[in-house]
Amino acid sequence: MNTIAAHTADATTVEEGLAIQEQQAKFDSDSATAVAMTNTLLAPRFYTTNFDELDAIDVSNVRDDWDRLINRMVSDPNKGHFKKNADWDHIDWENMDPDLKKEFIDFLISSCTAEFSGCVLYKEMKRRGKNRDVTQLFQLMARDEARHAGFINDALREAGVAVNLGFLTQKKKYTYFRPKFIYYATYLSEKIGYARYITIFRHLEAHPEHRFHPIFKWFHEWCNDEFSHGEAFALLMKTDPKLTSGFNKFWIKFFLTAVYATMFVRDHQRPVFHQALGVDPDWFAYEVFTKTSKLSEQIFPLTLNIDHPRWQSTLEAIYKANVDLADAKAKKQVFRKTMAQLRAAWGFVSLLMIPSKKNVVPMSTRLEPVY
Amino acid sequence: MGLFSKEIEHHPCEVEVSHCFDSLHAHIKFLDGTVIEPGDEVIVQGGEIMAPYGEVVREQRKAIVRRASKIEQIWTRWTGDFEVMELCEFSFSEEVTL
Repeated sequence: MNTIAAHTADATTVEEGLAIQEQQAKFDSDSATAVAMTNTLLAPRFYTTNFDELDAIDVSNVRDDWDRLINRMVSDPNKGHFKKNADWDHIDWENMDPDLKKEFIDFLISSCTAEFSGCVLYKEMKRRGKNRDVTQLFQLMARDEARHAGFINDALREAGVAVNLGFLTQKKKYTYFRPKFIYYATYLSEKIGYARYITIFRHLEAHPEHRFHPIFKWFHEWCNDEFSHGEAFALLMKTDPKLTSGFNKFWIKFFLTAVYATMFVRDHQRPVFHQALGVDPDWFAYEVFTKTSKLSEQIFPLTLNIDHPRWQSTLEAIYKANVDLADAKAKKQVFRKTMAQLRAAWGFVSLLMIPSKKNVVPMSTRLEPVY
Repeated sequence: MGLFSKEIEHHPCEVEVSHCFDSLHAHIKFLDGTVIEPGDEVIVQGGEIMAPYGEVVREQRKAIVRRASKIEQIWTRWTGDFEVMELCEFSFSEEVTL
């Protein structure tokens, strides 16, 4: 462990944190490279986008809300929060149910990769952009994502998993996303992330006996960062009414459907994790969708009708098709694989055909985390 | 840039890898201001850059940039969007069973 007096989690910026590390730190690099540790190569993707479009963003029509949000992010209320303290209980990894351990480590690695990839994307946008408002926002978000990734990494190390950052010397191809798709996808990702973490946090407050790892105690502040990032994307979308009208309404419905369906499928693939938390994945999905829909009313002109009679049964059908698809792939059954793909695709189209609910977007966009 | 041909360029870059508690990140910065376009490939030359836990490593290296052909660049712009869902975070990997 890091034994320096001024903890880098207290740093205000990434740069300051790095400087503290460099000046004072004495580290346990030996244990990081210990043979006993499992090595997991992080594999983030690299992106480009239309940087001219980003530079053209004008936040004038949301200036007050924008400045308040940025000022709060600059003041960094979560500085120093992401470090272990007395609340970090001992975890008996040795005696943890092997299935739970597998699913929990999958949770940690996936979350760490997601935070890390978010950091890479935001940093790239910061570096390539010229618009001061936009680059400042992305710099602040990159700071938070790198901090979260570091925190999860620490939990992984305790579990004997070392992440390998050696990917930079491998061949990397840069793909391209249109800015508006980045807004829809990351806005939803941040808000659904908030809804997921706060739902688990509140559930464990009421049922602490199910808290099988201390990291869940940090979900509250963690999800508040996610919430702020979502707010920033909501304000970015508010700067241009075209982003939430016309044909873009279809894209919004598409992203909402894709994100909800993917979450449903992935959660149901991890039954042991949810059982250990004492959470029914169907209940959890409904809770998270309800919260996310309510939050997204701040900016999206529609919400999905998750109470439609076809909603739940279609999600279950997609999940089953996905299980069959993986099985058919493993057994190299081409026909069964194709049929499973068609079933999953049809399920997705069927979800898209459920009429959505109209929403009149409020004048003021900003929300506070109240769940 | 050729319509079909790829061009290979060499550029100096700085790689920063932070393997710290407060920040886990890794970035490449091109020192001559070169700009990466959709479909381009980048390889940092030399051995793996490994930062032991708790350390930040900054190294100046050479990078090979394989420029995408015009066709490939257009293709990447059109099709990249299909992969945008990977920006979303769902807590778990896509594997059906572990």
